[in-house]
Amino acid sequence: MNLKTAAKVTAVAGASLLFLAACGSKNSSSSSSSKNTATMAAQAELPTMDLSKSTDVWSSNMLNNTNEGLYRIGKNGSIKPGIAKDTKVTNGGKTYTFTLRKNAKWSNGDKVTAKDFVYGWQRTVNPKTASQYAYLYSGIENADQIVDGKKPVSSLGIKADGDYKLVVTLEKPIAYFDKLMGFVNFFPQNEKVAKNYGSKYGTTSKAMVYNGPYKMSGWTGTNLSWKLTKNNDYWDKKAVKMDTINYQVVKDNSTGLNLFNSGKIDDTVLSSQQVKNYKTNKNYKVRQTASTFYVEFNRADKDAKLAKAFKNKKIRQALSYAINRQQYVKSTLGDGSTVSKGYVSHNLAKNPETGADFTADAAVPEAVKYDQTKAKQLFKEGMKEIGETSLNIKLLSDDTEGAKKSTEFVQGAWEKLPGLKVTNQNVPFKTRLSRSQNGNFDTVISAWNADFTDPISFLSLFTSDNSYNNGKYDSAEYDELIKKAEGADANNKNARWTDMVNAEKQLMNDEGVIPIYQKSEAHLTRTSLKGIIWNTAGTNYNLKYMSVK
Amino acid sequence: MRKYLLKRIFYLILTLFIVATATFFLMKLMPGTPLQNEAKLTPSEKAAILAQYGLDKPVWMQYFIYIGGIFKGSLGLSFQFSDQAVSYLIGSRMGPSMQLGGQAMVIGVVFGIILGAVGAIRKDTWADRIATIISILGIAVPSFVLAILLQFYLGLKTGWFPVAGWQGFLYTILPTLALAASPLAETARFIRTDMVDVLSSDYIELARAKGLSKFGIVYHHALRNSLIPMVTLIGPLAAALMTGSMVVENIFSVPGIGEQFVKSILVNDYPTIMGVTIFYSALLCVLLLLTDIIYGIIDPRIRLSGNGD
Repeated sequence: MNLKTAAKVTAVAGASLLFLAACGSKNSSSSSSSKNTATMAAQAELPTMDLSKSTDVWSSNMLNNTNEGLYRIGKNGSIKPGIAKDTKVTNGGKTYTFTLRKNAKWSNGDKVTAKDFVYGWQRTVNPKTASQYAYLYSGIENADQIVDGKKPVSSLGIKADGDYKLVVTLEKPIAYFDKLMGFVNFFPQNEKVAKNYGSKYGTTSKAMVYNGPYKMSGWTGTNLSWKLTKNNDYWDKKAVKMDTINYQVVKDNSTGLNLFNSGKIDDTVLSSQQVKNYKTNKNYKVRQTASTFYVEFNRADKDAKLAKAFKNKKIRQALSYAINRQQYVKSTLGDGSTVSKGYVSHNLAKNPETGADFTADAAVPEAVKYDQTKAKQLFKEGMKEIGETSLNIKLLSDDTEGAKKSTEFVQGAWEKLPGLKVTNQNVPFKTRLSRSQNGNFDTVISAWNADFTDPISFLSLFTSDNSYNNGKYDSAEYDELIKKAEGADANNKNARWTDMVNAEKQLMNDEGVIPIYQKSEAHLTRTSLKGIIWNTAGTNYNLKYMSVK
Repeated sequence: MRKYLLKRIFYLILTLFIVATATFFLMKLMPGTPLQNEAKLTPSEKAAILAQYGLDKPVWMQYFIYIGGIFKGSLGLSFQFSDQAVSYLIGSRMGPSMQLGGQAMVIGVVFGIILGAVGAIRKDTWADRIATIISILGIAVPSFVLAILLQFYLGLKTGWFPVAGWQGFLYTILPTLALAASPLAETARFIRTDMVDVLSSDYIELARAKGLSKFGIVYHHALRNSLIPMVTLIGPLAAALMTGSMVVENIFSVPGIGEQFVKSILVNDYPTIMGVTIFYSALLCVLLLLTDIIYGIIDPRIRLSGNGD
């Protein structure tokens, strides 16, 4: 009978498959990194390889290593030459003339010319492209109007003068313009290739062309592994030591650790539980990000009593003093994250004159200090000032495991204040965003990460007219300082630095927001891997000089 | 039969239409936009980008545009995978999920039947007890716990199988085992209960009286009769397994559809949510239809007719 035979066959086949598989060879437990080859784990899928459309960490990392712009961001955010050989700044910082190197080539053999930059930039600001990073072009001549569809893309302030000269015109001096030039959304794009692939451009590793240290292969657009191989058409290929860097998407931290321990991958991110066991491992490494988690108060709260409370400086200070950040990052987070030194993150920018970190220059230690006695005292005084005896506030945050722990910790800390009751609201990320933006919250734990290595990427958020100033922090002095830093002092590095330092101090003295911690990633990275450059903001990884020893 | 089939196909299309409509409007109730960089865009920038995707139109208009697209054979472009066609996304992600689901199904059902039959024949002996313990464990231990244990012991400690990844048949074994536990347990319990009943029925007594061999009785009379109700179980089970498990796929780094679906909901990737929902519903409907047809073939007592008498 058919049924009989079928049942037999399946049973035998099933059993033998299992048996055969069980006899498979035992994997060696040595590292997978052999000479000039290594395997890295990516914590999320690659959504795109389109330079105009990249918004996430991983596409940005991959694009930065397979492509190159005018500059390449090196160690500690330093600006290194890329396709631009020479730069002249004229017209009071409003005109940049870049001379391009003649030996830069695309992986299809085409030369990299000034036209590729013009095409790439125009494509990004073109409203039809719907780039979600086009706002970074703001300040380049006509960019804002083009994004709004009010002017043609050809009016963008970028012109090719022959094949190797590029002229960029700005509406006003942009102090961090050179840093932007190392950001993937400003890289050149090959018009021939982009037009050839049309809507498929950048959706697979094949439908893309590369002018950077590596070429990508094996990415089908939806799969979980791909390869970067040395690009022999790269102008500086002599500096590139790696032949192949494999990527495997690993979303589960315990899988990552198992893969690392079985020698299949050479770098993995650890969860806080894993950090406890691997803190002393020789491969343990903490990578800081320019991402600050902070509490925002809704000064325009619908509940008038709460709006009044959040406008009271003593109450804001009390809520800050009440949080034991040290204990929080150590015992609750435990993933290598550090206590915030202020709103602007640590290791983001250095004083142009002295080389001191921004957080050192702009430190307001009291604003991030834990002092319960002071907290209670200030809270009592603040409550007296607003004529209330009890407050009932809601604390909004994401519904991830980490965010829940955060809200519980802050709730526990705040409820020690006399007369304060806190209700936690953990909602999905998109809901949290829309509620923050609509002002539908009392207090919210928000996070901000910088787009580029300049404090302004943080500070511009809290000017009174910024649409992302959800808590409606409103300080004329602060607004004035930011205006100066972006306008009058834009060409004067030191004055601009002082403006930003003073703005941060103002925000912290006001306790405009309560910074809690700065996010870090705890990694296990094999010590044999050398030369990995990690930056806290913008694109994290620069693997041009990576090697295996 | 033909009339019955036509009627069922009509209902299938109607079901899909209702599912698509309900999903569409529920989805639009979720807060936020599908933009990836939403946190950093100003309201006017957001509005401009949304207009590019036609998301500024009234919801009912978007609905008709979407349904119209389906009739033209397009499921739209994904937001999270920038500009990737949803049909391509489902197509390339479905394969691994279906393969794992299919394998888990075969292993689970085959070994489940063996385990259940052994339990029924050797009722109240040590063999039966072991079979019962295995099936209770299979149901009680969640697949992710089993997945982590399998990965640690059979992947890392012994090195018999790859820890995670997707590069060939060897890589499918651990996730298959993790997924197979629950269908195995369910089948075993089902078969055991059913066969215990069948084994005590009159016709088995008769077969025994005729002097048939024990194996002959079990195989020809008891097991085959117990398998009929199994068909009912297999349809939905297959649908559940083949639509992919987010947890198992994540743990073994399988490029499957299970996780994509969950993530598309979290990031408001409207076209992907719709595409995967419609695909899942179609799969389930077809499997149920197949179940009914198979039922009619193997059990002559059930007749397929459009009249439902």
